[in-house]
Amino acid sequence: MTLNRRTFLATGAAATATLGAPMILKAQPAEYVLGASLPLTGPFATAGQLVAPAFALAQKLFNDEGGIAGTPIRFVTEDSGYVPQNTLANYQRALATEGSALVGYFADSTGAMKLIAPELKGENARLMGSTSFASELANPETNPYQYISGPTYQDQFDILLQNIKAAGGSKVAFIYSNTEFGRDPLEHGRAKAAELGIEIVLEEATKPQGADVPTHVTKLAQSGAEHCILQGYVTGVWPQLIGGARQFGLPVQFHGTFWGMEKLIADRITAEAGPFLAGYQGIMPYRYFYDRADAPRYEQYAALSKVMFAGTPLENYMSTWAIQTMCGLELAMKALRDTAQAGLELTADNVAESLSGIENWDSGGFFGGPVSMVNNKIGTGRVYEYSPETKLFTPVSDWLST
Amino acid sequence: MGQFVQFAINGLMSGAIYALIAVGIVSVYKATKVVNFAHGYLIMFGAYFYFTFAVVIPGFEGAPAWLASWQPAWMVEMRAGLSMFSPLGAVLDWVANLPRIVFGLLGAVVCNALLGLLIERSLMRPLMGQSVFAMIMVTVGLISILSGAASLIWTADAAFVPHIAPNTPLRFELFGTMIFLFGADIVNMVIALLIFGGIVAMVKFTKGGVAIRATAEDQSTAYSMGISVPKVFSRAWILASATGAVAGAILATRNGISPSLGLFGFSVLAIVLMGGLDSYVGVLIAAMSVGILEAMTQWKMGGEWAEIVPYVAVLVVIIFRPHGLFGQKEVERI
Amino acid sequence: MINGNLKASYGADERVLNNRNKQMFVYGCLLLLALFPLFADDYAILMACKMGILLIAVVGVNVLTGYTGLVSLGHGAFVAIGAYATVVLSNLFTALPEGVLPFVVVPCAVAISALVGIVVGLPSLRVKGLYLAVATLAASFIVNFLIEQELFAPWTGGVVGINTPVPNLLGWELDTKREMYGLITVLAVLTLLGTQNLFRTRVGRAFIAIRDRDYSAEILGISLLRYKLMSFAISAAFCGLSGALFAYFYARILPEQFELDLSLELVAALIVGGMGRTMGPVFGVFIVLIVPELIKISMGFATGGDLEMQRYTAPVQEIVFGLILVFFLLKEPLGINQITDRILRSANRWPFARG
Repeated sequence: MTLNRRTFLATGAAATATLGAPMILKAQPAEYVLGASLPLTGPFATAGQLVAPAFALAQKLFNDEGGIAGTPIRFVTEDSGYVPQNTLANYQRALATEGSALVGYFADSTGAMKLIAPELKGENARLMGSTSFASELANPETNPYQYISGPTYQDQFDILLQNIKAAGGSKVAFIYSNTEFGRDPLEHGRAKAAELGIEIVLEEATKPQGADVPTHVTKLAQSGAEHCILQGYVTGVWPQLIGGARQFGLPVQFHGTFWGMEKLIADRITAEAGPFLAGYQGIMPYRYFYDRADAPRYEQYAALSKVMFAGTPLENYMSTWAIQTMCGLELAMKALRDTAQAGLELTADNVAESLSGIENWDSGGFFGGPVSMVNNKIGTGRVYEYSPETKLFTPVSDWLST
Repeated sequence: MGQFVQFAINGLMSGAIYALIAVGIVSVYKATKVVNFAHGYLIMFGAYFYFTFAVVIPGFEGAPAWLASWQPAWMVEMRAGLSMFSPLGAVLDWVANLPRIVFGLLGAVVCNALLGLLIERSLMRPLMGQSVFAMIMVTVGLISILSGAASLIWTADAAFVPHIAPNTPLRFELFGTMIFLFGADIVNMVIALLIFGGIVAMVKFTKGGVAIRATAEDQSTAYSMGISVPKVFSRAWILASATGAVAGAILATRNGISPSLGLFGFSVLAIVLMGGLDSYVGVLIAAMSVGILEAMTQWKMGGEWAEIVPYVAVLVVIIFRPHGLFGQKEVERI
Repeated sequence: MINGNLKASYGADERVLNNRNKQMFVYGCLLLLALFPLFADDYAILMACKMGILLIAVVGVNVLTGYTGLVSLGHGAFVAIGAYATVVLSNLFTALPEGVLPFVVVPCAVAISALVGIVVGLPSLRVKGLYLAVATLAASFIVNFLIEQELFAPWTGGVVGINTPVPNLLGWELDTKREMYGLITVLAVLTLLGTQNLFRTRVGRAFIAIRDRDYSAEILGISLLRYKLMSFAISAAFCGLSGALFAYFYARILPEQFELDLSLELVAALIVGGMGRTMGPVFGVFIVLIVPELIKISMGFATGGDLEMQRYTAPVQEIVFGLILVFFLLKEPLGINQITDRILRSANRWPFARG
C-alpha cells in the first residue's frame, strides 16, 4: 500500500489514540526544515548541478506522503563551491535563522562533515548526512549525528581489492587526488593489499584538477601495474589518465570508486574522445537508475521526474550522484518519521538513535536486499563494468557486503 | 639511468610550456613595468576559448559537419581495419580533427588578444605612471574578476579538447628501461620553443621590438623620441595574451580544462623572478631547470612535492641573487 | 565652526583622541560593541566574530604594508601558523590546568608566528616591491604545503584538519559564539589601540620613514635590518593572534582555510579600507565581509531562491570582489578612510567652504 497524506495522517492519529500517549512535541513548528549545501560552483559543479533537482523531487515526494507525521518539510539548499568553510557558514546561517525547525542537514564534502562534526553539540546538534563516504565518519562514538548512506571508501577499496585478487591480479597501483577525499582509504588499502598478498607497485598523488597527466601516465607505465585504482576524482583527471594509458597501449585494468562511476560522464567521454573506457570497472553501492525493474522506489522517482523535469535530460535518467543524495534523504526521513511516530521530540539525539536502529530496511530498490545501519553506514555494494557500445554500466559481481 | 632520461625529457617538455607562459609575463613587464599576477588566468581564458571554438561551436546544429570531424573518403578507407589505438589511427584522428583544431587555435588567439587589449585599455592605461604597488594590486583584483567571469560563462565540466598534434605514443628502450613519450607533447614542446624564439627575435630585430626595448629602458625618453608608448603597451598585452592562448590550448590538452589552470600563473611567476624579470634567456633557463627539477621531484618524492618546487627554487635564488639569475639590477636614485 | 581643536598644552595635542568629536565617536562605538550582543541574533554575532578575527589580521598587514611599505601576498600563512600553533601546543601542554592553558598557548603561538615572520622577512632586506610580494607568496605556498604533509599529520592532522580546543579562561569556558564575541571584540579593540600607539613611538616612526624612502631612512640612521624585520615580526604576530582566535572560534580547522584566498582577502581589505590608517582595516573588513552576504541575500530575493540561479551567486561575488579592489585602486587609492576624512572635514568646517 502506498501512503498518501490522508491515510498516513489517519494511521498516525490512530496509532497515537490507541497508545494514548500525548504528543509531547514542544512548540512543534509549522514545517520542518532540512538544510543542504551543494557544490553548484567550483571543481565539482557538474555533480552539484545534477544533484540539485533531486531536492525538489524529494520535497514533493515526501510532502505528498505526509511529511513528518503530518508536518510538511521544506529543503533549504545553498551553494558551497565545494569549500568546507562555506558549508559550515551555510550550516551556521541555517541554524541561526531556522532554529529548532531545522531537523537535519546535508553537507557536500568529507571536509565539511569533519569541520562541522565538532560543532554538533547540545542545542546545536542536528542529524547530518552528506555526499561523503569517508571512513572516519562511520563512527557513532565520535560522530553520533553523522551517517553515511552506503559503504565507506575503505569498504569500497576492500571490495575492489578482493575482486582484483579473485581476478588473479597481483600488482596494483593507487592513483589518487591529493585531497582528503583521495587519501581517505589509502592506509587501509595498503593493509588490505598486504593481507591479500597484492603488491602495491605505485602510489601516485595528483592534483584534483589540472593534473600533469603525461607524467602520471609515464609513472604508471613504468610501474608495471596490472590493476589501477583511481580514487578522489569526480569529473576530471581520471578520464584523461585512462585515455593516456590506452594511447600508450598499457594493458592496465582501471577501477573506480563511487564518484567515478557516473554514466553521464562516461558517455560524454566516449562521445568526445572515443571508446577507451571499455572494461572500466568500479564500485557502486546502489542500483543504476535504468535498472529499476525490482526497484519500486525508483519507479516512483521516475514517474515524478517525468512530470517535474519534462523536457530536460533529467526526465528519464537520475544520476548516481542524485541517487546517493536520495538514499541519504530517505534514511534521514525514515529516522525522523520513526522518531515522530514513537511520540518523541525530533531532537538530534532521538533522531540519531532511530537512525542507528534502522534494521532490515527495505530501501525500495537502492540496494540488493534489506539493509541495516551498522556503525552509521551501510556496508554493501556491487562491482559494475562500463561498455561503450551499450553505454551502460552492468554488474559483474553480486551484491557484496563487508 | 633510463628512468633519469625519461624524467629529464618530461621535465624539458613541461619546462618549454612554462617558458611559453613566462614569455607573456616578461613581455608585459618589459614594456609596461607591470608584473601581471593574473597571467595564469588569462591562460585559463585561452584554454576555455580553445574549448569553445574547438568543441562547443563545431558541436552546434548549424555548424558544417567537416568542422567537427573531417572524414574524406580516403581516410575512411585507410581507417578500415585499423585497431583502435594504433599509431596510424592516432594520426588519422588528428587529421580528422584538424579543421576544428585550427579553428579553435585561431579563435582562442583572436579572442584572447581582444581580451588582453580590453584589460590594457580599461585597467592598465589609467594607472600609467602610478606606483608599482597599485599596478600589481590591480592585476591581483583581475584574478578574481577573470576567475569569476570564467565560471559564469563556462560551467565546470569534463571536457576533452582535441590534441594540437597527433598523439602517437612513442616507446623505445634506453639503458634497459622502456621510455614512454607522447607525440603531442613533443610537438607541443617544439611549438612552445618556436614561439618563444620568435618573440625573442622579434623584440631583438624588428622595429616594434626596438620600441618595446626602448620603452623598457626609459619610458619618458622613449616618448620624447617619438615612440608611441601607449601603442607599445597595447602591443605587449596583445602579444602576452595571444601567446597565453596557445599556452592555454596546450595546457587544456595536457591537463584538462578547469579553473585551476589559473594557478599555473603563480608557479610561472616564481620562475620569471628566478630567471630575472627582464631577461628572456634567464627565464628560458629558469623554466627549463624548474621543469626538470619538478620532474625529478615527481620521480623521487611523488606528485605532491613537485607542486612547491618553483616556490622553493625562487626563494633560494632570490636570497642569493635578489634580481634573479640574469636580471638587471635596478639603480635607484634618491 | 572648527570646534574642539584648541590645544593648550603639548599633552593635549599628543593624545590619541585629540578632539571631542573623535572621543565621542570612539566611545560611542565602544558602547555599541558592548551592547551589540544584547539585541543581535546569532547570525549577526557570527558575522561580527568573523569580522573581528579578520580585522586583527588586517591590522597586522597594515603594519607591514601600510606603515612600512613592504608588500606581502602571503600573510594567510601567518594566520595558519597562529591557528595551528594554538592547537598543537594545546595538545602538547596537557599537563597544565585548562584554565591557564590559553594564557600560555596563545602567547607562544603569537611568538612562533613572529619568528616565522622574521624568517620570511629576510628576503625583504635584499628585495623590494614585487620581488618581495612573490617571495612572501612563495613562502605562504610552502607553509601551507608543509601543514598538509603526511609527515606532520600526527600533530597538524594533515589535509583532513584537526579539532580545536575550547578556550578556558581561568575556569570560564567560552563555548558559545556570544562568549567568543566578547573575547574577540576586546582583543580587536586592543589591537587597534596598540597599533595607533605604536606609531607614536620611535619604532613606528622608523617604519613610516622606511616606507617613505628606505635609503633616506638608512642615511638618517635607521637600521633597515632591524626595523624591517621588526615590522615583519609585529605584523606576523598580529596575524598569529588572529589565527589563535580563529582556532578557538571554529571547532575544527582545515589547511585549505588559510590558502591564497585568505592572503588576498587581507590585502584587499586593507586597500579598500585605507592603507596606513588606524581605521582603514575596520572599514575594509566590514566591506569585504558584508558585500558578499548582501550579494547572496539580494540574489536570493531576485531569483526567489531558484536553485538554477544559485550557481551564479558565487561567480558574481568573486567578480564584485575583484571590481571593488580595482575600483578603489583606480578611483580612491587611499581607501574608504579618505572618503570619511573628506566628509568629516567638510562637516567640521561647515558652513565654510570645503577644502
